[in-house]
Amino acid sequence: MSLATYLVVAFGFAAGAWLTRGHGTVGTVVGLGGLVAATIAAIAIRPDEMLLIGEGGLAASAYLRLFLVMGSLVGLGLAISGLAAGTRRDLSTVTLATLGIASLTLSLTDPRAAVIAGTAGGLCGALLAVGRGGDRAGASIGIRDLRAVVIAGTMAVAAMAWMGRDLSRLDAPPVVFGLAYLAVALAVAIRFGAIPFHLWVARLTDAVPDAGLPIATILAAAPFAVVGLSWADASIAPLLVDLGTERGVVLAIAVASIVLAAIAAVIQDDLEHVVGYSIVGDAGVALLAIVALDPEAWGPARTWILALVVTRSAFAAWAAGLRLSFGTGRIVELRGWVIRSPLSALAFGLVVVASLGFPGLAAFEARSTLVATAIDGPFAALVVVAVLAPVAYYGRLLAVGLRRPDGPPEPGAWRPRVAPVNLTAPGEWWRTTWEANRAFTGALVAALLALLAVSAAGGAFGGPEAAAAAAVGGPAPTATLVPLSSEEPSSEPIPTE
Amino acid sequence: MNPALAGVALAVVLGGVIAASARNARTAVLGLILAVVGGAFVAEPLPDSVGLAARLVGAVLAGYLLWIAGRDADARTGGSRLGWPTELLVAGAAAVVGYGSHGLGAPAAGPALAQAAGFALAALAVAPVFNGRDVMRIGLGLSLLASGVILVRTGLGGTPDALEQLVFAGLVAVLGGVVAALAVAARTDGLAGFDMTVAPGERVRRRPDARPVDPR
Repeated sequence: MSLATYLVVAFGFAAGAWLTRGHGTVGTVVGLGGLVAATIAAIAIRPDEMLLIGEGGLAASAYLRLFLVMGSLVGLGLAISGLAAGTRRDLSTVTLATLGIASLTLSLTDPRAAVIAGTAGGLCGALLAVGRGGDRAGASIGIRDLRAVVIAGTMAVAAMAWMGRDLSRLDAPPVVFGLAYLAVALAVAIRFGAIPFHLWVARLTDAVPDAGLPIATILAAAPFAVVGLSWADASIAPLLVDLGTERGVVLAIAVASIVLAAIAAVIQDDLEHVVGYSIVGDAGVALLAIVALDPEAWGPARTWILALVVTRSAFAAWAAGLRLSFGTGRIVELRGWVIRSPLSALAFGLVVVASLGFPGLAAFEARSTLVATAIDGPFAALVVVAVLAPVAYYGRLLAVGLRRPDGPPEPGAWRPRVAPVNLTAPGEWWRTTWEANRAFTGALVAALLALLAVSAAGGAFGGPEAAAAAAVGGPAPTATLVPLSSEEPSSEPIPTE
Repeated sequence: MNPALAGVALAVVLGGVIAASARNARTAVLGLILAVVGGAFVAEPLPDSVGLAARLVGAVLAGYLLWIAGRDADARTGGSRLGWPTELLVAGAAAVVGYGSHGLGAPAAGPALAQAAGFALAALAVAPVFNGRDVMRIGLGLSLLASGVILVRTGLGGTPDALEQLVFAGLVAVLGGVVAALAVAARTDGLAGFDMTVAPGERVRRRPDARPVDPR
């Protein structure tokens, strides 16, 4: 019942915010109120709940609850950040719809249905590319986003449908399992915008507000990735099929994303592309979980994905806040931002701690475990160093921030400015105060989200425990395979060649 | 072979051919509706009433939203450059492949006709999805692709349960709604048609509304 309540709240307020979006303040209140209500509804979800519908069902879990609580809080912060920045995109509506579909994706017990829901969840983000009124450029970018989402969904649905039945009378070489695995792994890579499937994300950064970028990319893709990972662990890993080549392909994509995205982020000239490529790089780490095909990677992968959503959302909020304070997103024009905006500097520091981490931090340990389970030998050491590549673009941003600022300083510009309350015209007072504090609001939201990111990365709120646990719905339907060449199931890997 | 099922599968493929080849946007949308509505019935046994109703509502809702997006009589989409006979042949060939390879290496729980129709829709979707030059045509192609893979899933795994049908319906409706919103956004910027701004591979200019810059 609590899960159903969340669904009703998320979809109800999404519809309400969409219908009232042309009514100024009313639409804003419905959207933000919906995100607050969604947060409360997410907290109220009972992790042991099972909702049966026909032969299928929705199963709540501690991880689902934590994901939705974090997602709702992050969505609320980003929506406020977007409001402060003055964007008129439907951030609250899209976030609520994406969260509603995410709750379905993570709770459906049948992965074949879950992956379809995960595909639907990725569609809403395309609306953020479109401005009010006519926007052919935004529509062109949005339809490319849809193309990536639907193609990825098609690959995953086809693979899961093929595997999700009795395959005891299979008349095909075992390499077909490798193809199914590869289809799902590539689908996850496409959804995350991993290199070389990153072009749609790069274009999206041209049209989506900073505050909307995490919603359109990781918040929508994360549940899809969790389903793909769950399916690979439940359906492919037990088969003991030798997938060396296929895993090598996915590993190459993961490592390319980690390394090349960091390089791309360093050479970019604007903040939103740095944010976009930072998401791509961290998604590469998540792909290592699919390479691992090891139940040991299940918990760390979900821990990392949760931390990824919150940390990169905080980074996007920081970028939006900085753009708001300085009137530009060009990095070379942000000289002295650390000195001019201490609150943004605090947010930045927390984001760096959350994303890079240190030994003992849950996200750091999760990333280390993923590398260790996915890669053997000396190459693992190289990847361990490569995952720290974000130091390069963080260092560049910090160096720019520590330079001598352009022009004379504005004393107290970063502090809140609150005039005495005018009880005769409270509306006017509120509008004036809001306008005077938009930059401060952006920086404050970034700092709060960064604090949340450090908490998530540190394993607060029972994150690692929730990530390691299975849903109450039990194991997902998996293929039943008996190798044709022997009467007893073999414990040896089945060669693909 | 069940003749009624064969008739419905044929209607689905014909709807797909119309959606992929018509130049009038509303004609193409009608073809898509035929394909998506018919697709719900290509199963053996038929889905239960709740699932079937959900599929029909989702398909009609998606079609209605797309119909609104193409509301002017002169709303044109790219259509097939090779003409409908070519699309028909492509769909027919794909359907034969799908029918002949039913189960894809193992016994399947669903009808061969579902896989045949699914392959046909997926083949018809290739040109619009990868070579489309306007928002509506790519969107129609994506809807055909999604419907095609749902049919293939039905052909392999049998009739989905009510909850899965509900999720299918949601996907179809959300996809139709988002494509319609994008198509309307493309059409209402002062220029006629659903054309994309630039050729694939080129960058578009950033809209100022994405990141409005206020003076400090």
